[in-house]
Amino acid sequence: MPEDRIYEDLTIVRRRANAVFWIFAVLAFLALSYYWKVQILEHRKYLDLAEANRTRSRVLAAPRGLILDRDKTILADNTAAFKVSLVRESVKDEAASYAAISRLLGIDEPTLRDRVALHKDLQPFEPIVIADGLTSKDVAPIESRRRELPELLVESEPQRIYRSGTLAAHILGYLQEQTAEELRARPERPTRPGELVGKSGIERVYDDVLRGDDGLAIEVVDSLGRVQNENARQFPVQGDDVILTIDRELQAEAERALEGREGVIVALDPKTGEVLALASSPTYDPNRFITRFTPKEWTDLISDPASPLENRAIRGLYAPGSIFKLVMSVAGLTFGYVNPATTVYCSGATQIYGAIRHCWYEPGHGAMDLSDAIKNSCNIYFYSLGRRMGINQIALAASRLGLGRKTGIDLVGEKEGLVPSSEWKQAALKEPWFPGETISVAIGQGQLQVTPAQIALLTALVAARGVPVRPRLVSNVPAAVDPAPPADSLFKESTFEEIIAGMWRSVNDGGTGAGARVDGFDVCGKTGSTQTMSRESAERLARAGRVIKTHSWFSGFAPRVGPRIVVTVLVEFGGGGGATAAPVAGRLFALWKERMKPR
Amino acid sequence: MIMLDRRLIEEIDWVLIALILLQSLVGVLFIYSSSHFLPGAYHVRQLVWIGISFLALLVVLAVDYKFFVALSGYLYVLIVALLAATLVFARFVAGTKSWISLGLMQMQPSEMAKIVMILVCARLFAEYKRDFLTTAHTLGLLFVAGVPFLLIVAQPDLGTAMTFVAIVGGSFILAGLRRKAVILLVLASLVLGIGGWNVVLKDYQKKRVTSLINPAGDPRGSGYQVIQSKIAIGSGGLTGKGFKKGTQSQLRFLPARHTDFVFSVIGEETGFLGVFTVIALYFALLARMFLSVSKARDRAGVYIIFTATLLLAFQFLVNILMIIGLLPVVGITLPFLSYGGSSLLASYVACGLVLNVKMRRFANV
Repeated sequence: MPEDRIYEDLTIVRRRANAVFWIFAVLAFLALSYYWKVQILEHRKYLDLAEANRTRSRVLAAPRGLILDRDKTILADNTAAFKVSLVRESVKDEAASYAAISRLLGIDEPTLRDRVALHKDLQPFEPIVIADGLTSKDVAPIESRRRELPELLVESEPQRIYRSGTLAAHILGYLQEQTAEELRARPERPTRPGELVGKSGIERVYDDVLRGDDGLAIEVVDSLGRVQNENARQFPVQGDDVILTIDRELQAEAERALEGREGVIVALDPKTGEVLALASSPTYDPNRFITRFTPKEWTDLISDPASPLENRAIRGLYAPGSIFKLVMSVAGLTFGYVNPATTVYCSGATQIYGAIRHCWYEPGHGAMDLSDAIKNSCNIYFYSLGRRMGINQIALAASRLGLGRKTGIDLVGEKEGLVPSSEWKQAALKEPWFPGETISVAIGQGQLQVTPAQIALLTALVAARGVPVRPRLVSNVPAAVDPAPPADSLFKESTFEEIIAGMWRSVNDGGTGAGARVDGFDVCGKTGSTQTMSRESAERLARAGRVIKTHSWFSGFAPRVGPRIVVTVLVEFGGGGGATAAPVAGRLFALWKERMKPR
Repeated sequence: MIMLDRRLIEEIDWVLIALILLQSLVGVLFIYSSSHFLPGAYHVRQLVWIGISFLALLVVLAVDYKFFVALSGYLYVLIVALLAATLVFARFVAGTKSWISLGLMQMQPSEMAKIVMILVCARLFAEYKRDFLTTAHTLGLLFVAGVPFLLIVAQPDLGTAMTFVAIVGGSFILAGLRRKAVILLVLASLVLGIGGWNVVLKDYQKKRVTSLINPAGDPRGSGYQVIQSKIAIGSGGLTGKGFKKGTQSQLRFLPARHTDFVFSVIGEETGFLGVFTVIALYFALLARMFLSVSKARDRAGVYIIFTATLLLAFQFLVNILMIIGLLPVVGITLPFLSYGGSSLLASYVACGLVLNVKMRRFANV
């Protein structure tokens, strides 16, 4: 072998070793250069990243403002509760994590995953609330497993509590978490994850007043999210209180009166428009929205045919029935079709446009002037008046008296109702108006639709002799909407005096409203019984084996001079207004008479 | 054989030993900084291991390296048997089977396998007098190295297995590689690489490679370590956040702080100045070892010095490049600095071999 050498010559291997050393030296230098780049040139960037790593800002929930009644009794309060949140970033083994959480909190896994999926748009380090309203007992098993479950965050948080349960539920409204769509639709209303926001009632309308300013804690955390230290803290500021115009006792009495029935009671001060009571039955417990429903409870609640969540006072549409005779009377006097002395003879029935129309009192009322006609709620008188006046005059007066438009009460979802006219029918149904329809409208039937709140306001307008007010539920926060509309110059004060005379007789002189009489309180009112009922309601009642009765109305005020309270009662399927609604109103008038005494 | 006369002791490179000990103490400092809040007193354990390793180094010095080289065949058989046993019996530690329990102590035979491999290479090339590597030698060494290599890969401990590349590659370079051979090796490693990617590599290892290319792609998984490590190093700046004041390490964002990623802690807490100092220390140490090649009296000595030094240099480079995201995270420790007895012992023994060769340059054959 020619390459074999006799002696040990290490020159070549040493040269090769040196070459490798120099390659190493160059590589080491390049490595050092890269450290220079990262540590010196990009220092700022990595310092920020390190800072973001170690600090976490935690939102400190601000308690909502309280909701008080007119005597400052707390209706919506706050209490302390615990909530548990999940930090997805810290989840190591998703399946095991979800299984453990599900077991510890008693939430089934699909529900848990749904809750997390709802907030999938959030950054992975932002906590997602998976359970709230918990007691210290509920969270104890989690607290004792903090090391195994670093992804769970347990915090104490103020929680809404409605001390009186269902009382004034439709006024207070309820809180619910915003849905994903709402979160997207209302970017101006940033919510912390899991925050409950006003979804209905005062909680919704005055949400911006009630919600406070959330605080913020900047915390130093370790890689498992465990808090090591706190850097800075901005304390939360509680929301402002809202004082309602509602009188707790009157409200409670109204709700008691409606118990077991479907109906509405609205009571307000005709001078100021302050709503003293507003009850809609059946009702619900707003606390259940806080503690969360089981899926079944929720389904039952929203599919209940009696719609307990609906506020019938502003969303229930009813035919006004004989209550509408007040509007007819105002219109007749204002447009000169009748004067207080004009009489119509009631024989119990009359023929109009070829059809026989009956009075509700078959023997007939005899000769009736306006006051008699209101007192007895005589149909024949108003048939006659309606036929002569025509639908458009009726519609004009009804609109000017507040029907067919929202009352402007500070609640959401109010309905407008409907005042039919020939124009309306042409536009809506593409049909001409038939004179016969006017006759139905004249006694508050036909296409007429009103809400109990509109009737209460109409009654207030009559009680105040034409001085309108805007209904208000809150006394300490300026109304977001425009103030009371100016008095309508169309109507004269004397017109209302004539009608009030009839209303007084209706209650105090053996008329249809006698059930509402309260000694020494000079109640004036008007009853109504409506035959209109939706097909669904009729079927539902038939199934329940109940006798199909008419809706029962009463609306009135007291006292006659210097009125202090308007009470409107509607009992669905309550039968005659005089028999059912008037006595209920009487209970409230009696109570208010007592409440007005100096304490 | 065991005769340490005065002349031999005078020839011991005390500077090198001082550098090793200095580097080790720097390691203890930052092991303490990154683990003082954990139970286990890792810094104390590391000190004990430094003592044990230093004793081992002295023992290695006492015996002529020729004896080790002569023994390398037996050592090779022993270590292959140990590696095989490890695979079968060892307790599972952190998902790998690389640990074997020796009563109170736990050993990683794979670390010792590196030393054995150095000796085997020296033995194989001791009488090699050609200018260039022959095919027979190439295949022979690849086979000899391949058996323990595959056993270590199977543990799976890719990092330690990778160090074999340094030892075997170093030997090839010394023996002389023709251009043709280089091309062949590159081709072979490409084929092996592609095959390895598809057949041998586990998912976690593949993830490590992909996360190197895009660390943000899986910030909680493999990429997490690199991202956190880079943040730690970068946030250190010029002067660092101060001893025990690194937020990344103290708040545990940094993974494997006291082992593979101890240099990130140094970067975070002492900044570029600290990084520069430690790298300079390393450079001094390794340069001194590399340059000892000229002191070796025979071919086996050259191979020992060169492959042992290359092994440490390789681990050093791969580690500091891996923790800053330039190489995939392949569990390679930083010699002398990382916590870990076996790794420390292997590094000390490797240095011991270098010192051994160096001090016996005038010894009579």
